[in-house]
Amino acid sequence: MAKRFDGSQQALDLNNIRVDPDLVSQNIEVTLNRRNSMLAVIKIIEENIPELICLNLSNNRLYRLDDLADIVNKVPNLKILNLSHNELKTERELDKLKGLKLVELSLEGNPLSGHYKNQADYVSAVRERFPKLLKLDGHVLPPPIGFDLEVAPATLPPCKASYFCSEEIKNIILCFLQQYYSIYDSGDRQPLLDAYHDGAAFSLSIPFTLQNPTTIDLSSLGEYQKDCRNIRRMKDDPTTRFRLIKHTRLNVVAFLNELPKTQHDIASLIVDVNTYTATLLAFTVSGVFKETDGKSRDSFRAFSRVFIAVPAGNAGLCIVNDELFVRNATTEEIRRAFVAPAPTPSSSPVPTLSAPQQEMLAAFSLMSGMNLEWSQKCLQDNDWDFDRAAQIFTGLKVHQWFTRINEEFIYKT
Amino acid sequence: MASTVDFRTLVDQSCRYSDEFVNIYYDCIDKRRRNLTRLYLDKATLVWNGNAVTGRDALSEFFESLPSKQATQGQTTLLVVTAGSVKFDGNKQRYFNQNFLLTAQASPNSDQPVWKIASDCFRFQDWAN
Repeated sequence: MAKRFDGSQQALDLNNIRVDPDLVSQNIEVTLNRRNSMLAVIKIIEENIPELICLNLSNNRLYRLDDLADIVNKVPNLKILNLSHNELKTERELDKLKGLKLVELSLEGNPLSGHYKNQADYVSAVRERFPKLLKLDGHVLPPPIGFDLEVAPATLPPCKASYFCSEEIKNIILCFLQQYYSIYDSGDRQPLLDAYHDGAAFSLSIPFTLQNPTTIDLSSLGEYQKDCRNIRRMKDDPTTRFRLIKHTRLNVVAFLNELPKTQHDIASLIVDVNTYTATLLAFTVSGVFKETDGKSRDSFRAFSRVFIAVPAGNAGLCIVNDELFVRNATTEEIRRAFVAPAPTPSSSPVPTLSAPQQEMLAAFSLMSGMNLEWSQKCLQDNDWDFDRAAQIFTGLKVHQWFTRINEEFIYKT
Repeated sequence: MASTVDFRTLVDQSCRYSDEFVNIYYDCIDKRRRNLTRLYLDKATLVWNGNAVTGRDALSEFFESLPSKQATQGQTTLLVVTAGSVKFDGNKQRYFNQNFLLTAQASPNSDQPVWKIASDCFRFQDWAN
C-alpha cells in the first residue's frame, strides 16, 4: 500500500484496489465494499497516516458509506475525497460522512448523480453535508454564502513535563516524594503516619468506565473498586459518600496499608504544582507503578494523585489532603516504565568524590536517613556545606520560604 | 481557625458544592468560554499539561487560544478532582485528569459565599505521546 501513498501531498490512492497486482499476487483480497476490508483500511490509515488529507476510493463498487463513517473521527484532516465511479444510489449516503471538512469531492459516475434536474440542486444537496466544499466533480464552485462563525481551528498548546514553579519547591517536593514512596513501596506503610496531619483526609477513585481501549492489561481494578469514591454516583447515598473518605491519619494510613503492595517508577513521576502560598502547597503527581503482590501481581497501573500539604516541623511537609486516582496503565506507559536507572534529581554528571566528601556524604546520609543519591544532591546543591545542607533537610528553609511568601502577600494586598 | 461545624457536615456540603461546580465549569468550557475566567480568582493559576498560566488576563488569552472545547489564610478551600475524556475540535478524543482548588469568597450580592477557582491543574493521560 506504500506505493499508493504520496507523502508530499498526504494523499492515498485506493482506486480499484481490488485488482491491484501486488495484492492479487499475494492473494490478499481487499474488497472495499465489504465491511471488514473497509474497516481494516481505516485502521491502517489511523495508525500510520492519520494526518491524511486526500483519499481516492474510486472504482471500488461502493454502494454504501456506513463502513466509512469512522473516518470522520479518525482522519479529521481529510479534505479531498474521490468517490467517483462507485455505486452510491442516493445523496443520503453522504450523511454518514457529515463532519468531514471536505473542500473537494468527486461523485461522478455514481447512480445518485443522475437524480438531479439541475446542477444547482445537486450542488446544494452536497453542500448541505459539506458546507466548505469548493470543488465538486472537478468543477470549481462559486464560494459558499454563509456566516463564518467558525473560528479557524487552533492547535493545542504543546504538552510539557513537570511544572515546579521554582528550584526550591522542586527540591522540597522531590525530596518529599523520594521519602514518601520509599516507605510506600517498602511493604509496611505504617511509618507514613509521620507524613500526615492529624486531621488528614484521603479518598480514592478509578475510571468511570474501566474500558480504556489502549490498555493491554485487562486485569480489573477490583481491589480498588469497593473504595472508589465517585460522588456523582452517590448523590442519594450520603452515608457511603461519607464513609469512603478516610479521615484522620490513623484511618488514612490503615487504609493505605490495605492496598496492594507496589513498586513505583520514581524516575518517571511528573509533578504539577497547583498552588503555593504561605500556608499551603498543593501539587499533583502522575506516574506509573507495578503491583507486587496479590491477585493482580505484576499489573501495571497509572495514577494521578493530588497532595495538599502545610509546612510542618522537621519533616518539611505535612499532608492534609490526599486524593488518589488509579487506572490501568496504557501500553505506551508500560513500555516507558522502569526504563531509566535509579533517579538522580540533577542532570549534571556525577563527579567523583574526594575522601572528605565521601565521609561527609556518609554522615549526611546517616543523619538524614536519605539514600546516598539524594544526600549527595543535597550536599552538592549547598557546596558541601554540611550545616547548610542539614538546614535544608530539616525544613528550616521551608519555613523561611513560607515566611517570605507570606511577606509578599502582605505587601501586595 | 476554630470550626464549630462537624466533619460530616463539611463532607456533605463539599459534595453539594463540588457537584454544582463541576456542572457549571464543564458547561462553561464547552459553551460559554468567554465567561470561564469569571470563575477564577484574579491571581489564580492554571497548570495545563505543564504550561503555567497566571492571572485573569493570561487565563483569558489562554482559553481563547484553545480550539473550540491563592488560597489565603483561613479560607475555606475545596479540592475537586475530576477525570474524563475531551475532544478538542480537529483533534482526537483523549482522556484527562483535572483537579481544582476552590476558595470561598464573600459576595456583595448574597449572603452565600461565592466559590472561585484558585488553581486548576489539567493533564492528558497520554500527554507524553
